[in-house]
Amino acid sequence: MIIYLARRLWQSVFLIFGAITIVFLVLRVIPGDPATLILGSQATPAELAALREEMGLTDPLFEQYVRHLAEVARLDFGESWRLGGDAFASVVDRLPATLTLAGYALALTLLIGFPLGLHAARHTGRAVDRVVSYLSLTGQALPSFWVGIMLVLIFARMLGVLPGTADGTPVSLILPAFTLALPFLGWLARLVRNGTLEELGKDYVRTARAKGLSERIVFNVHVLRNTLTPVVTVLGLVLGNFIADAVIIEQVFAWPGIGSLLIDSIVNRDYAVAEAAIVLIAVFYIGLNLLVDVAYFYLDPRITLETV
Amino acid sequence: MTTTYNRRGFLKISSIGLAGAYLAACSVGGGDQGAAEQALRAAFSQPINDLDPHGPSSVDESTLLAGRLIYDTLIRRDGDKLEPSIATSWEQTDPNTWVFRLRDDVTFHDGSPLTARDVKASLERVRDAGTAQSALWTSVTEVTAEDDHTLRVVTDEPLGTMPVNLTLMFVLPADKMDNDGFFGKPIGSGPFRVERFTPSDVLELSAAEYWNGAPKLARASLPYIPEVSSQITALRTGELSMLWPVPPDQLNQLKGVDGIRMETVPSYAYYFTWFNCGREPFTDPRVRRAMWKAVDIASIVENLFGDGAERMTAPIPSTVFGHAPQQPYPYDPDGAKNDLAEAGLGDGFTTSLMWFSDTGPLADGLAQAMISGWAEVGITVEPQNLEKAEWLRRLNAKEFDMDLQINTVTTGDADFTLGRLYDSEADRMGYRNPDLDEILREAHRDSDQRRRAELYSQACTIVWEDAVGIFPAALISTYGLRSSVRGFEPAPSNQPDLRGVTLAT
Repeated sequence: MIIYLARRLWQSVFLIFGAITIVFLVLRVIPGDPATLILGSQATPAELAALREEMGLTDPLFEQYVRHLAEVARLDFGESWRLGGDAFASVVDRLPATLTLAGYALALTLLIGFPLGLHAARHTGRAVDRVVSYLSLTGQALPSFWVGIMLVLIFARMLGVLPGTADGTPVSLILPAFTLALPFLGWLARLVRNGTLEELGKDYVRTARAKGLSERIVFNVHVLRNTLTPVVTVLGLVLGNFIADAVIIEQVFAWPGIGSLLIDSIVNRDYAVAEAAIVLIAVFYIGLNLLVDVAYFYLDPRITLETV
Repeated sequence: MTTTYNRRGFLKISSIGLAGAYLAACSVGGGDQGAAEQALRAAFSQPINDLDPHGPSSVDESTLLAGRLIYDTLIRRDGDKLEPSIATSWEQTDPNTWVFRLRDDVTFHDGSPLTARDVKASLERVRDAGTAQSALWTSVTEVTAEDDHTLRVVTDEPLGTMPVNLTLMFVLPADKMDNDGFFGKPIGSGPFRVERFTPSDVLELSAAEYWNGAPKLARASLPYIPEVSSQITALRTGELSMLWPVPPDQLNQLKGVDGIRMETVPSYAYYFTWFNCGREPFTDPRVRRAMWKAVDIASIVENLFGDGAERMTAPIPSTVFGHAPQQPYPYDPDGAKNDLAEAGLGDGFTTSLMWFSDTGPLADGLAQAMISGWAEVGITVEPQNLEKAEWLRRLNAKEFDMDLQINTVTTGDADFTLGRLYDSEADRMGYRNPDLDEILREAHRDSDQRRRAELYSQACTIVWEDAVGIFPAALISTYGLRSSVRGFEPAPSNQPDLRGVTLAT
């Protein structure tokens, strides 16, 4: 087990290293640099050259990269030119808001998606089953920024029952959390439905029924447990996806999380903030994956080190 | 076997429950504080990302807006006039020397007095910051605090724009401004103190003691809402009390809505389309003038912007010092074709227009309307809708045929745009005219406002008649206000003074 963990951690280090490298390269390959944006449209070539020199942008790319790696290893992403101050600190500052949003979205997904899936499995082919299928398909097909804008129009502007932007109150969480949850909600419902149906066709269910157990016990005690295992393992990944999707949703709802910061920093070539934010999201995602893999052992005793 | 399995199942379910409970417990917090006091929620359309008024964002409207509320300047602008603020009087003792007398009753929010040393340190800081505002101060060679309330500024050439430039120069406490983290919660001497600041998210202010009339509001919160439709919704539902500037295409969403009123003022922001005068065929002024005649500016501005903009009559907006109305170019496509034929381009030609969508409201629509006007006289213009950073790079490198952008006369004085953009040495768009250089430089040096107005009038005529660019529309700033907002005065700079604002209950 320890060896397995060590191996996975070692792999994670490489993944994070890869993320840092890609982010660094992509940000520098796209045209335009921070010096241009700092000095604006009235800069002279001499001022531009001087600022580029000062910011170390004229050094060979490889040299910048090595310097960058050394800094990142110390969790120092540098100063943000736009926000003035340590870039990593300003990203970490925004993290709780994004995590809160993702957390609520996850809770919504579970509380609605799971029962819905079970219900659909018990009533295959009936109206509720079809609703789940449609919901799942529509939820995943509709772009979430559009859904967000529509929800704001309906619930905030037309009905006036919910705030459309983050104002610090818990109610202002409802629309963004739901928008974020929608695609995964239908997806989870489908997953639970199909998993349950598969379990229902297995031998142990036939045995249980043959013993004369009531359908309720067969379902709630035997089938439910076996459906839980895959669900729990995918939830970690869903949470990771929430954090990535929040980038867009936050923009729509003026949610003060990492997402709005990230977009602004990329548009303005604020390398330090963009790198800190993307690397943090990557680390988060990789960490969740690792956690899910480890959790798997405990959730399903049939899984051993030999089978992974 | 059964027991282990049960325990495991129990663990699974309880852990999910616990996670849910934890998530439910962490909320965003805040909210109900100061409900009894008067708190204004006012959203500006751009994010306030930095409160350092001398730093990289020093000429961003959002940073200037925050600066006006938190800090103070020696001189402030009131309509067309320059009024004393921290400085009670100023004089030019010789062409290169200015002497300012300062008030003796100004204090920073922490209670320490503001003295000439703070002004000296601030002026030197902004001059040496190497940012967009530093360019205004390059000729300042020496700043001395002669005593606590007398400041002497020496320049290496006469600087007639000294007083107007000072309306942008915010004074910071000399002994604290270079501290780490100072701009996270800065201290100024303006009407509001900073309570909390999250960059690009929210700036929360509370009223401070201010020598020139303390704010009537107890608190003000300036949130940033990125999505236009969310901004409009928030104003309509009352989540916001104030929103500005309302984009021209959203005015209808607010017109006639109960509980909302709008106030407008012509702003310092305007659109221009430059020709790269150093590139064929725009080296020929006949071609540039023909391009202007080929587009129906009057109806484009009318149809696209409605009440959100006015047709320009000079290369700077009518609210700016130095504006002098010119003869508008007629919409005359046949005339344009004749002029092109005369210039040897009777068969038309192919060129390009670059811009970026966020430069201003309806930029895409304006670009397309102009391009289709040119198409009708046989000129094929390739639209190049770029990303901001790339657009800036090409603008600075003069890698363009035509450039469409919004520009703001930040100081409200023609020197800020005409003086800085059209001088041959600045070399922004390849246009060179020694006569114009002479006029602009004299206007920059002279401190006699009447003489300066005369000079800028000549400069307006040259830029307009030589068609260095097309000057279609100056924006009108629309402030959307809840009817509970009283005592509000719209500002052409988009930096309103909130001291007189109250909220009716």
